[in-house]
Amino acid sequence: MRQANLKWILTLAIACGAMTVFFPFFWMAVTSLKTAPEIQRVPLQVAPDNWLNFANYAEVFRREPFLRYLLNSAIVASIAAACSVVVSSLAGFGFAKYRFPGREFFFLAIIGILMVPFQSVVVPLYVWMNELGLLDTYAGIVAPDLVSVFGVFLMRQAIETIPNDYIDAARIDGASELRIFFLVILPSVKPAIATLLIIKFMWSWNEFFWPMVVTSSPQMKVVTIGLTSFTNMYFIEYNLLTAAAVLSILPILVIFIALQRWVVQAVVMSGLKG
Amino acid sequence: MKSSAASRLLLCAAAVLALGMPIQTVAQQKKLVMWTHWDQNPDFNKWYADKGREFAKKSGYEVEVVTIPYQGYEAKYLAAFMSKGSAPDIFMGMTHQWCGQYDFCDKMPADLEKLYDQNLPKYMAEVGKWNGARYGIPIEHGNFQQMYINTDMFQKAGLNPDDPPKKFTGDWLAAMKKLTIPDPKGGDPLQVGFAIRSKGAPVGITDKFLPFAHAWGARMLSPNLDKATGYANSPEMVAALTFFGDLVNKDKVASLSFGNPEDAFGQKRAAVIFRESWFFGWLKKNAPDVNFKVYALPCEKVCPGAGALFPWTDLVYKNSPNKQVAWEFMRFISNAKDDMEHHQLQGILPVWTANLDSDYVKSRPDYKSTKDMLAQQVPPTYFHPKSNELATAFGEAVVGVMFGKGQAKPLLDDAAAKMDRILKD
Amino acid sequence: MRQWYRLAFPSNHLERRKRVGFLFVLPALLFFGAVYLLPLAQSVMYSFYRIAPGGARQFVGLRLYEKVLTDPTFWGAVWNTVQLLLMSVPTTVILALAVALGLNRISSLKWRNVWASMYFLPFATSLVAAALIWQWIYEPVYGFLNYALSFAGMRPHKWLQDLNEVRPAIAAVSVWVRIGFDTMIFLAALQSIPQEYYEAADMDGASAIQRLRYVTLPLLNAQIIMVCILELIFNFKIFDQVYATTQGGPGGASQTVIMLLYDTAFKFFRFGDASVMAVFVFVTLMVVTVVQWRIFRKPVEY
Repeated sequence: MRQANLKWILTLAIACGAMTVFFPFFWMAVTSLKTAPEIQRVPLQVAPDNWLNFANYAEVFRREPFLRYLLNSAIVASIAAACSVVVSSLAGFGFAKYRFPGREFFFLAIIGILMVPFQSVVVPLYVWMNELGLLDTYAGIVAPDLVSVFGVFLMRQAIETIPNDYIDAARIDGASELRIFFLVILPSVKPAIATLLIIKFMWSWNEFFWPMVVTSSPQMKVVTIGLTSFTNMYFIEYNLLTAAAVLSILPILVIFIALQRWVVQAVVMSGLKG
Repeated sequence: MKSSAASRLLLCAAAVLALGMPIQTVAQQKKLVMWTHWDQNPDFNKWYADKGREFAKKSGYEVEVVTIPYQGYEAKYLAAFMSKGSAPDIFMGMTHQWCGQYDFCDKMPADLEKLYDQNLPKYMAEVGKWNGARYGIPIEHGNFQQMYINTDMFQKAGLNPDDPPKKFTGDWLAAMKKLTIPDPKGGDPLQVGFAIRSKGAPVGITDKFLPFAHAWGARMLSPNLDKATGYANSPEMVAALTFFGDLVNKDKVASLSFGNPEDAFGQKRAAVIFRESWFFGWLKKNAPDVNFKVYALPCEKVCPGAGALFPWTDLVYKNSPNKQVAWEFMRFISNAKDDMEHHQLQGILPVWTANLDSDYVKSRPDYKSTKDMLAQQVPPTYFHPKSNELATAFGEAVVGVMFGKGQAKPLLDDAAAKMDRILKD
Repeated sequence: MRQWYRLAFPSNHLERRKRVGFLFVLPALLFFGAVYLLPLAQSVMYSFYRIAPGGARQFVGLRLYEKVLTDPTFWGAVWNTVQLLLMSVPTTVILALAVALGLNRISSLKWRNVWASMYFLPFATSLVAAALIWQWIYEPVYGFLNYALSFAGMRPHKWLQDLNEVRPAIAAVSVWVRIGFDTMIFLAALQSIPQEYYEAADMDGASAIQRLRYVTLPLLNAQIIMVCILELIFNFKIFDQVYATTQGGPGGASQTVIMLLYDTAFKFFRFGDASVMAVFVFVTLMVVTVVQWRIFRKPVEY
C-alpha cells in the first residue's frame, strides 16, 4: 500500500515539474496566436482573443523563406549529429578501453575546446574558413561543430561501463579491434548513442553565433538567424517571434519523440545485461 | 549494426565533401554587395536593390542587399573586413568606428562631398564625417528624441494637450506630478508621468539621458573629445543627473518597475516618453488606441536640440575591388527625389534639407516638432572611436543614481576618471 | 619520448593494441586540430597586442594582462558569474537527478516519454527565444509571474529590473534550459544499470534510500561528474540569455565574464583585452575541471 502511495506521489511530483517546465512553451504558443495590440494589453490575458488566429504564422512565412531556413537547419544538424556520433564513439572507445601514452592529456585537451570562449576565436576562425573557401556553405556552417566534445565525454563514460570480460572474450575469439567496436561496443551503448544524437542535433539546430557570422546569403541562413529577423535594434515583435519559435521547435519535437521510442526499444531489445 | 555504422561513416564523409560546394547561381551577374544591420527597416533596405536594377542598366552592376541581424553584427563586420575577399562593397555603420578606430572606409570623392555639405541640415553636418573628411551618406534624420504625450491622459489630468510644458524644472515637472497616480495600497504607481529607460546596456541609457544633460548646458566630453573630467562631472551635469534621478527617487514621477518605456507608454501606464521618430510607427502597430501628439523636448538653461549618439551612415569599404562603381552608385542615388522616395517608403524622415517641407513630411505627426527641434542650437556630438566604451562608463553613473546606488556627484566623478583612463589608453 | 616511438612502431602485441587505441582517438584529435588549432593560437597571440586607432597592431607584452587582471569591472563580472554558477549548477544537477530517478520509476513507457519530452523541451529552444520569452514572463507589470504570484497574495517583484533579484532570475532560466539535458543523460545511465544489482541489494534487505545511496549513486558517479563538469563550463560561459535580455544590466548586476569579453572585443574594439579574458576563462575552467576529474572520479568495479 505504501509502495503504491509513494509511486503516486512520485508520479504527481514528476508531472507537476513537467508542467512547470512546459509552461513557458504554452505561453509562447498562446502568444503566437495573439495580435500585437493583444500582447500589450493590460491587465494580462492568458487566452488569445481568437484561438485560430494563424495570421502570425502566415506573416512569418511571408516575410522570410522560413521553410528554407528549416531545411538548412535540418541538413546542418543532421550532418553534425551523424558525424559526431561516429567520431565521438570511436574516440570514446579509445579513451575508455585503451591505455596509451598521453591518454589523459589528449582527453583534457579535447574538453579544453569547450573551455575556450567562442567569441574570442570567432574572428580567426572566420579568416581560416575564408582561406579554406568554406564561407557561406553548409560545410562552413557545420565545420566547427562536426565533433562534439560532450559526445566524446559521454561515449567514454558509457563505454567504460562495458565489462572488460566481454571485450577480452571477443579478443580470444580472434576479433580485430575494429570488429569489437562494431559488434560488442556499439550495441551495448545504444541509449548513449541515441542520447548523443538527440542532444547534438538540438545543439546544432540552436546554434546562432557561428552560422550568423559565416553565412550571408538568405538561402543559407538557418532557423536561429530567421528568428532574429523578428527582433531588431529598437524593439521585438513578440507575436511573430513566438510564432517562428514554435515553428522551429516542432521538427525537433518530432525527432525527439521518434528517437525516444528507439531508445526504449534498444534497451528492451538488447535485453538485460549480465 | 556494423553495416549501418559503416554506411553512416561513409555518408558523413561524403556529405562533408559534397557540401563544401557553395550554392552557385546559374549566371554570375556583376554586383555590389551591401551589408546593413538595420533589420527594422526591410523596405528601406530593399530599395537599394531595386535602385540597383536601374543602376545595372547604366553600369552593369546590380546591388545585392544583405541584412545582418543587429545582434552580433560587429563581430560579423569585423571578421569580414579582416579576411580578404568576403567583405561587402558598401556597408552601413558608424563612421567613428569603422573609419576612426579601424581603417576600413574609403574617402568620399570631392564632388559628392560638396553635394552633401550643401544639402544636409546643419545638425547632420558631422554625421558621416571623421577628422574633417566625409566618408559616407547619413541615412537617418529622425534620429533624435522628441516628446510624445498621451493626449487623453493629459486631458484627464487637467492639462492642455495642445500646450505642452516647456521647462524641465518648471511646468514639465509640475505636469509630470499631475500625471502620476500613486497606488492607494502603497505599491508601484498606477500611472506615471514619464516613461524612463532603465533597462539594458548602459550605452542606451546614456543616450536617453543626454537630452537632459544638454538642456542643463552640460557635455560629456571636452569640445576636442579628449577630456572627461571637468565635463562629465561638471556642476551642470551633476544638476542634470540629480534632477533625472529625482524623477525616480524623490518626485516619483517615473518608475523602474515599468519595464520597457515603449511598452509602458503603449499600455497607457506612462503619459510622456522621449523617443525618436520611428516610435509613432510602432505605436500605430502595437497600441493603435493611444492618442498622442509629438512636441519638441522641453528646455532648461538651453534647449536640448537634435542630437544623435549613433550616426548611421552608408560607407564604402576601402579595400573593395569595386569601390569606384560603389561611389558611382552612391552618386546615382544622391539626389533629393531619390532621398524622398527612399525614406518615404519606410515611413522615416528624409535626409536632404530640400525634402523637409515636402507634403509627405508635412503630413507626419512630428512635422512641427521636428522643425522646432531643428531650430534649436545643435547639441554636442561625441563621435569618438571609443564612444561605446565612454558612453558605457558614463551610463554606469546614470544607472547608479537611478537605482539609488549613490549620489550624482561621486558617481560622476568616478565615471569621469574612468572615461579619462579610457581616453588615455 | 620512447613511449611515442613505441606508439608509432609497436614491437609487441600489447603495444600494438595501444596504437590501435590511439588510432581510435585520432579522428577526433585531427578534427579539432584542423579547425581550432590555428584560431586558438591566434587568439592567444592577440592577448599580447594592442590595436591602436587606425587599426595598427602594437606588441605590448604582458601589459594587457596587468590591465585586465587589475580592473574592478572585470572582477565584478567574474563575481557575478560565480554567483550565477553557485545558484544554477547544484540546482540543475540535483533537480535533474531527482527527475531522472523519478522518471525511471514510472512504469508506463508512454507517460515516461511524455514527461521526459516536456522536461527536454527547453533544451530544444534557441537560447535567444527562450530568454525573450522568460524576459516577458518576468516583466514586472504585465508578465505572467507577478500575475500568478498576485493570486498567492504576494506583491509584484521587479525580477530582471532589480539589482539583487536579477541574478537568481537568470539562474532560474539557466536551470530551466539545461535540466532536460542532464535528465536525459542520467536517465540513459539509469536504464543501463543491470537489474541484478538492484536484486542483490533487495536480497540484502536494503531500503529505497539505502539502495539509492549504495547502488544507484555510485554507479552514476561517472555521469554525475561529467554533468557537473559540463554544467560548470556551460554556466561559466553564459552569454546568450543575458545578452538577449538584460545586456548586463541593471547597472552591471548581471554582467558576466563572457558578456564583458564580447563587449570588450566587439563594442569597445579592444581585442587584446578580450583575449586576456579568454585566456583567464580557459585557465580557470581547466584548473577546476582537472580538480573535479582527479579528485572525484572513483573507479567502480564492474
